[in-house]
Amino acid sequence: MSLSRRNLFQDKTRLALSVGGVALAVMLILVLNGFLDGLNRQITLYLDRSPGSIIVAQDGVNNLLGATSLLPSGIEYKVDSLRGVEDVAPILSQFVILDLHDKKQPAYLVGYEPGKGGGPWEISSGRQPKRDREVVFDRILAGRHRMRIGDTFELMGKDFTIVGLSNGTTSWMTSFFFMRKKAAEDLFSAPQATSFLLVTLYKVVETGEVLNRLNDLSGVNALTKKEMAINDLKLFADIFSAPLKLMVGIAFLVGTMIVGMVIYTATVERQREYGVLKAIGAANRVLYQVVTVQALLAALAGAVIGVVMAYGVSQGIMAARPQFLIVFDPSDVEKALLAGLGMALVAALFPARVVAGLAPAEVFRR
Amino acid sequence: MMRLAFRNLFQNKIRLAISVGGVALALLLILSLDAIFTGVEQRLTVYINQSGADVFVSQSGVRNMHMASSSLPASVEKKVKAVPGIEAVTPILYISNMVVTGDERNLAYIIGLPEKAVLGRPGKVTIGRDQPKDGEAIIDRDIADKSGIALGDIVEILGEDFEVVGLSEETTSLVNSVAFISLADFEVLRGSPQVISFLLVKVSAGEDPNAVAKRIEARVRDVTAQTRDAFAGQERQVIKDMSTDLITIMNLIGFLIGLAVMALTVYTATLSRRAEYGVLKAIGAHNSHLYRAVLAQALLSVAIGYGLGLGFTLLLSEMIPLTGISLTLIVSGASMIKVSGVSLVIAAVSAVLPIKQIAGLDPAMVFRGK
Repeated sequence: MSLSRRNLFQDKTRLALSVGGVALAVMLILVLNGFLDGLNRQITLYLDRSPGSIIVAQDGVNNLLGATSLLPSGIEYKVDSLRGVEDVAPILSQFVILDLHDKKQPAYLVGYEPGKGGGPWEISSGRQPKRDREVVFDRILAGRHRMRIGDTFELMGKDFTIVGLSNGTTSWMTSFFFMRKKAAEDLFSAPQATSFLLVTLYKVVETGEVLNRLNDLSGVNALTKKEMAINDLKLFADIFSAPLKLMVGIAFLVGTMIVGMVIYTATVERQREYGVLKAIGAANRVLYQVVTVQALLAALAGAVIGVVMAYGVSQGIMAARPQFLIVFDPSDVEKALLAGLGMALVAALFPARVVAGLAPAEVFRR
Repeated sequence: MMRLAFRNLFQNKIRLAISVGGVALALLLILSLDAIFTGVEQRLTVYINQSGADVFVSQSGVRNMHMASSSLPASVEKKVKAVPGIEAVTPILYISNMVVTGDERNLAYIIGLPEKAVLGRPGKVTIGRDQPKDGEAIIDRDIADKSGIALGDIVEILGEDFEVVGLSEETTSLVNSVAFISLADFEVLRGSPQVISFLLVKVSAGEDPNAVAKRIEARVRDVTAQTRDAFAGQERQVIKDMSTDLITIMNLIGFLIGLAVMALTVYTATLSRRAEYGVLKAIGAHNSHLYRAVLAQALLSVAIGYGLGLGFTLLLSEMIPLTGISLTLIVSGASMIKVSGVSLVIAAVSAVLPIKQIAGLDPAMVFRGK
């Protein structure tokens, strides 16, 4: 152990570079995972905060964000009159592309009826829309484009005025903004159209029974908000997981190579000492332990610093770009430390080979 | 000095492999992310580019297809047809929805095509037909392969069953694919018969698409007309604007990792050759000569790392489609130039530490055996 520590600490700059390299790799893994976790939370924002426990969509539609839904006309009244249903909030929603200051900004437009719900859950300033050309805009999106209450922007050939700013309605991909449902119907040339119904049940009612009754209605698909959130998460996780895994894999390899190189160099430099140890009877197993402990110390120190750095960097990213949400679960930190451990074990293979191939007699020939 | 750099670099093969490999991986991080987004940009515009249309007409103010909605009264078709300089007009309906195959749900642009559509059909259909009739669908071949779907099988679109009659190529991206059904089916399922989404326009021979687009906007109210290139450019812009921040962050991380690997390698290589540098100093070599050797060593490593990183990325771009993942990687010239610049900076900065070390080296140390 003391030999490992001495070898490792003999050159401080090299140690600092190696620990720094591992820290960077671990930080990258953590930030990427945290980014995906944050993205997942942002994906289900609307479902988490909007009223009701059941969503009624068009038949065949299982997602809120992935698919466009158009319910049969008159369905709101049928649902409202069903036993067990306390309240129904109809919304007309659709992704749109906003052209803000020569930047394309995808946004999710929600047309809602202010008296029934489904609109912004927290207005930080301003008010709800009272007229058709008024909107409540996401506060962070507005801030990014230096837009304030009273400013106007163009959407699909029509001018809209911001009358309120909402909190908790942003994401990296897209932000939510809200207008009256009637205004959305005009915008999409779809009079009386409804995308989804947000259904609130009486407290004493069995959700499964009401779901069955809703699904007996023609042309609709009713599911709990939880189910829909899972569907949306799965859809977007499928999209983002492949590139993310690629990045995490690269980060892991880089970390491993850095630790490997440092321990390898340290071992090669101490080749004679290892030879002497072998010559006086030290088994290969002991020498493997020495290099493995070195690798473990460097990798674990890097991993711990990487965790701290990831926290700092993510705070910096979120302060500079508030549309990003980076979330760390304790399990992510555990995974990062395990990744550090994995890096150390794989990295120890390079110097272990050097030690294994060392001839004790070599020492005495020099 | 170049020879010294070369020798120092290649003297220890394992260290060389690790350093070059580390830099290659860091650059791969930057190159592959760029390639992913370039791939998405390219695939997202495939339908537009292969549609055969010179001009796209949409609802006023709608300049995109991706994540957008356009609704035009069906009567606009006649008005556009009456504009001089137009050879053909095809209306299409469009919505973002799912192609459901068993348990698999794949996000897709659903295009409703009229019978005998002149424009807007899938560009490459290698198996089956390129024009769906009622009750039929054309889906992307990668999606079909992934779900084990063949011609004659049933898929669910907009809540209805459709028989697959054609498989199209290059119509899938990381985000979604494109599926085609008949306009009549689309109208029934969406319940909006007198509305279309886009008009695809082919201009007459000798006509300038730009001039025709302007003419359409001047003569038909409440529409936006864009040439194919402009429309595709708007689509690419969505991806660019969405990914800029993310790419900047990842590039910075890639740069730092590359820098850490390189700095470590050049530093350890210089350290192990400390005595030799001392001898060179003792026999009269100037510091500037030794600096050049260190810099050349860093540049060589980075250059090899860059070549390897690029090679890995190109290899990945070939391998990934074989795995069935809907991910297209395209390495662009701009990305290669950017990463070359990053590599140069990495080489220059990583040489700073060893240069400092050489500068402080006392030639007399060599003779003292240190």
